[in-house]
Amino acid sequence: MLGLFSSATLLPGCSRDKHGELISTLVPPDEGVIPGEARYVPSTCTECPAHCGLLVRLRENRPVKLEGLPEHPVSRGGLCLRGQASLARLYHPERIREPLQKDGQGRWQPLSWGDAYSRIVREVQERKGAGRSAAWLSGRTTGTLDELLEAFAAGTGIERSAEYELYSHAALRQAAGMLFGVADLPVWKPEKADLLVTFGADLAETFVQPVAYTKGLSDVRLKEEFAWWHLEPHFSLTGANADRRLRLNPGSEAAVLLYLFNDLAQRSEFQDRVPAGLKDALPSFSAAEAARRSGVSQQSLEDLAQRLAGAGAPLVIAGSVGLGHSEALEAALLALLLQNLLDPAGERADWRRTENYAGLADLNTMQELTRRLRGEEIGVLFVSRCNPVYNLPLSFAFSAALEKVPLVVGLGEIMDETLEACDLILPLSNGLESWGDAVPRSGVRSALRPVIAQLHDTRTEGDILLDLWRALEVGAVPAESWQKYLLQNWDRLYPEEQISELAVQGFVLSRPQRPAAQLRVEDAARTLESGLQAPVVRGAALVVAPSLRTFDGRSRPLPHTAEIPDPLTTISYGAWVSLAAEALAGLGAEKRDLLELSAGSWRIILPAKAQPGLSGDVLALQRDSLDGLPLEVEARTGELIMTVPSLGLRGVEGSAALPVLAGSASQHGRGLIPDPVHLKEKDKKEKRYSLYPEHVHEGYRWGMVIDLELCTGCSGCVAACYIENNVPVVGKKDHLKGREMSWLRIEPFYEEDGRVGLLPMLCQHCHFAPCEPVCPVYAAYHNPEGLNVQVYQRCVGTRYCSNNCPYKVRRFNFWQPRRPEPLDLMLNPDLVARDKGMMEKCTFCIQRIRNARDQARDEERPIRDGEFTTACAQSCPANAITFGDLNDETSRVAKLAGDPRAYTVFEKLGTVPSIHYLAPRKTEGTHG
Amino acid sequence: MADQEKALASREQLEQDVLGAMRRPGLPYLAALGLCGASVLLLVGLWGWQIHSGLGVTGLMHPVKWGVYITNFIFWVGIAHSGTLISAVLYLFRARFRTSFNRPAEAMTLIALTVAGLFPLIHLGRVVIFYYLLPYPSQRQLWPNFRSPLVWDVVAVTTYMIVSFIFFYVGMLPDLAIARRRVKGWARHIYGALSLGWRGTLGEWRHYNKLYMFLAAFATPLVASVHSIVSWDFAVSIVPGWHTTIFAPYFVAGAIFSGTAMVMTLMIPTRRILKLEPYISVDHFEAIAKILLFTSLIVSYSYITETSLAFYHGNLFEMEQFRYRSFGDYAVLYWIMILCNSVLPLSLFFKKLRRNLSWLFALSILINVGMWIERFVIVVSSLARDYDPYAWGTYMPSFVEIGITVGSFGLFFFMFLLFLKTLPVLSMTEIKEHME
Repeated sequence: MLGLFSSATLLPGCSRDKHGELISTLVPPDEGVIPGEARYVPSTCTECPAHCGLLVRLRENRPVKLEGLPEHPVSRGGLCLRGQASLARLYHPERIREPLQKDGQGRWQPLSWGDAYSRIVREVQERKGAGRSAAWLSGRTTGTLDELLEAFAAGTGIERSAEYELYSHAALRQAAGMLFGVADLPVWKPEKADLLVTFGADLAETFVQPVAYTKGLSDVRLKEEFAWWHLEPHFSLTGANADRRLRLNPGSEAAVLLYLFNDLAQRSEFQDRVPAGLKDALPSFSAAEAARRSGVSQQSLEDLAQRLAGAGAPLVIAGSVGLGHSEALEAALLALLLQNLLDPAGERADWRRTENYAGLADLNTMQELTRRLRGEEIGVLFVSRCNPVYNLPLSFAFSAALEKVPLVVGLGEIMDETLEACDLILPLSNGLESWGDAVPRSGVRSALRPVIAQLHDTRTEGDILLDLWRALEVGAVPAESWQKYLLQNWDRLYPEEQISELAVQGFVLSRPQRPAAQLRVEDAARTLESGLQAPVVRGAALVVAPSLRTFDGRSRPLPHTAEIPDPLTTISYGAWVSLAAEALAGLGAEKRDLLELSAGSWRIILPAKAQPGLSGDVLALQRDSLDGLPLEVEARTGELIMTVPSLGLRGVEGSAALPVLAGSASQHGRGLIPDPVHLKEKDKKEKRYSLYPEHVHEGYRWGMVIDLELCTGCSGCVAACYIENNVPVVGKKDHLKGREMSWLRIEPFYEEDGRVGLLPMLCQHCHFAPCEPVCPVYAAYHNPEGLNVQVYQRCVGTRYCSNNCPYKVRRFNFWQPRRPEPLDLMLNPDLVARDKGMMEKCTFCIQRIRNARDQARDEERPIRDGEFTTACAQSCPANAITFGDLNDETSRVAKLAGDPRAYTVFEKLGTVPSIHYLAPRKTEGTHG
Repeated sequence: MADQEKALASREQLEQDVLGAMRRPGLPYLAALGLCGASVLLLVGLWGWQIHSGLGVTGLMHPVKWGVYITNFIFWVGIAHSGTLISAVLYLFRARFRTSFNRPAEAMTLIALTVAGLFPLIHLGRVVIFYYLLPYPSQRQLWPNFRSPLVWDVVAVTTYMIVSFIFFYVGMLPDLAIARRRVKGWARHIYGALSLGWRGTLGEWRHYNKLYMFLAAFATPLVASVHSIVSWDFAVSIVPGWHTTIFAPYFVAGAIFSGTAMVMTLMIPTRRILKLEPYISVDHFEAIAKILLFTSLIVSYSYITETSLAFYHGNLFEMEQFRYRSFGDYAVLYWIMILCNSVLPLSLFFKKLRRNLSWLFALSILINVGMWIERFVIVVSSLARDYDPYAWGTYMPSFVEIGITVGSFGLFFFMFLLFLKTLPVLSMTEIKEHME
């Protein structure tokens, strides 16, 4: 039986090289490649501005999996859903494979790089003659590419117009500039806090460094004294994770912060710390007034102030939706001032290192650029790695402005709204095909290197810049190629040993150079003294929040970002608007009906989803749902206002096809996530009688512990599992039928009091597994190491195992999985890709177990604890998953399984799962 | 002498009447056969498409991974029940009214089993390797998992099939010999071969009676075992709504109930069309109606028992399951089932209705609708709502499943029509035995 399994797992290990041929046994493979053996190369994730460290798993010279880089100083081994899913960007079937230009009919025609360059050069020179300049607009750019862009702009006269990010944290940066002279973001360290108070900052999702913050939170969350309060107008995954979530009116953060600052500043322990210039400037502000404006009860606000005053190491962070309103500057100033008051030494908000956001443009700059485009001042515009047509607010009319530009050159990997509006497209190489570096945080340089030969006729942005520079024939080009330029730059910056560090471990860390920040309050005092002017938001308001799965919409092309559901609503494909069930009932619509939203001339019809935990007036929308939203810009800071006030609402006839994957939002008292109060009432172990001998596990017995207190539901594990195990992506049609294939899913269970429990559910590898005896052909059997193994080739597809599984974690291939080329290259050759008619499920990454065992056997030793782990555990940003040998009493997993918080799901069924969950501590719920 | 002649004449008349059914078919018969044949082609076509594309063409989904196909399997196995019941059990009890029914009932058993046997295959994800379910020696030394109820199914259904076939065939030998005597042309050779050279000698009759008695005794426990084992597919699992000890008697009663109803559905028109009124009287139908009433009461009792048990032992999952059954997504089906299987058969307490063939015909069809729905409700609603609330979901059959179900009825009637034209539809020898 075991023999059969090993051949089943190993045979498909024969894989194809880039030419699609089988590796011949006669031709020696490329140097450094051992067929069947994986190599790991460090790199940097470029999916979002966070730039986490990557460990790229290579098989036969092609990347098959991205993992977190454990030593990376920012991400510390975690990798989020988007990072995991970004591997598909490399193999995406819709990647732009060669330079393209639009013909007269608006169709795309290929052309050579030479022709593309000469067209650009011609246009640049002609337009210059006509007095119109050329400009380069890009997404966030750090590291050497940033320097090259500067040099390029200086050398060629092509101006560098803006570094565009929709979420540029402009208000925070401006406030920081006013207070500390550093227009950047500090390094927040939740790991050092004992009271964390967040205003809208979605630490666990997209805010600045979500993986780093989640890692930090995991360091402290288990401490008894740690508490986390989150204030937000809508309901985010971060809010679901906080110990206490306070719902406030959209845009009222400044009021709460002003009250808190005033209250603390008057307390004797803080009185001395309040800067002199500020003491008199701040208007007095009562708790009652703050409560009136924010809608939070006065009791809760006073409680919060009391807690902040009493906390040993408080940390206050405002950001994202919390600063996406017209009082963004006041709120940002107050949040930073409050933090400074509580933590003058900057232990938890460190200004010596910053998040390197200083170079980013705010929306005012973008408005200025749009004005110039419209005013026909710019003759040639380059747009690289950003999608302003899609995510700039409606009022910019950016695509109309682009039409005024004679030549728009787009640089990107996959066609998007902006590239579609260009005249010429220069395809960019993927981060995994290119040299490069990134500076996610000042003093941290993280390297990128090519790990696969170019799949298509694409070039890196650095090479394109150098090529253009050469073609423009203006002065000496600094280097022959981007790679040389990069290495020259590294040579200039670092001594020899650090360069090799950069190459071997993937990053270098330098000492912080900036001195501790000096507080200046004059500008802030001037801003704050006029008090809070903005009217309280009344009536229905639409909050547009960044999306966990696609950030500002940029990750939409990745197949897994749509296939993996949003953890709070469990909606996978499509756009929807969330609102409170009462509000929905008030509109006369049931839970999935259509809703028409309107603001001014803008209107849209969207499916509505009832969302517990939202207040009656707030509707929530994720940023990736729509383009052209009627959002405003906060004029002083250039910050995006993320709320659409005075929204018109109307129920519309008709029903929408919206795949909601959860069958029920409540656990119906079934104790999947037990109430901590009842956890101690464990059932007495009953003796079991069986006709069959019990399974014995003499060697290893693999098991897992999942800590629900730590798990944020970010779904990084889900994406890791999909990619590691070749789990098919089936699409919306099958999701609507409930045929998703995920081996691991996040189940949200809402409680009456507004709390939501998030339960990662996967095969429990039961000791007495109900799936095993019912399989007529032994496709499901119990292996000697305690795994419930599924022998795919033996499976005839009776599906009885799935019916008999109380956890419903088995997945059936209803169709032959489709992987359009070259997505098939993404397949992990360590395990079979299943065919139609086969049942599949979590294997505890048996291919990794096998690999570790082989290695241990070669070295004649047992497998060490922590030597390897499953894909889900590896990338978990929260360290919530521990995998190991339950037979080894000293292993981490065995110790955690003995924790008083440990329980198994449906214990009374007597299945004896190998997965132990650690119950969450009692949280304090939601209060208005 | 006159008596003897009269007796001979009535026997002659019987043979002519029964074998008269085997005359050259008329247009209505051919039209009916053609219609059924077309739906068989539909079944074959849809199945082929399903094999080609995958089970995605069905409405099956997560968590309801068994649907209409398994419903059909249980339904047809249930139909297959009454043939053996009427034949073997009533033979052992010397119930004389069986002689008018036993041949078509047995034929129905075999035909229904053939149809039923298709469904586990149609249902498989990878039907090309269906033989993994059979215990055959292989070089990998892999045997089926004898702990799996699905393997028990394979054994139970094949045993039942083989025994029913032998019983059917042996009982037909003397009649085949009569057919050999009375038909002309090439068909004579076929009936000659099929009758295995039966001559009607005393020795042959002695052996025949012993063998027939033995087979009847052998087949009787199978009536109980087959559907018990089919019910264990469910009872052995841990799914709320399936996992209960009453399933075996409950399913057997249900099977007899639906099978007997099907006999009624088939025999009322057959009797009329083939002009067999002299041999099948209203008394016979009344006797069958009593069986229907009795089994209906058992089935109703089972409904009450399983629901009250769920609430009596207070298991959260069971309670939710039975609440869901009667008030959830499939509630309409549940109440139709109660109406057809428990309420309407109560009318058979009235003698007048028991003897009203139109009512019996209508009722027999309604009962089979109800019994099909009963199996659907048990299979689907239990799966739709088991332990993990996240994984709850509802299933709707696709047109492929509906088409294949229609095709299975087509196949059933197609084979039954062929039976009517090719084999003696009534047991002539037994009717003769009982003639005065």
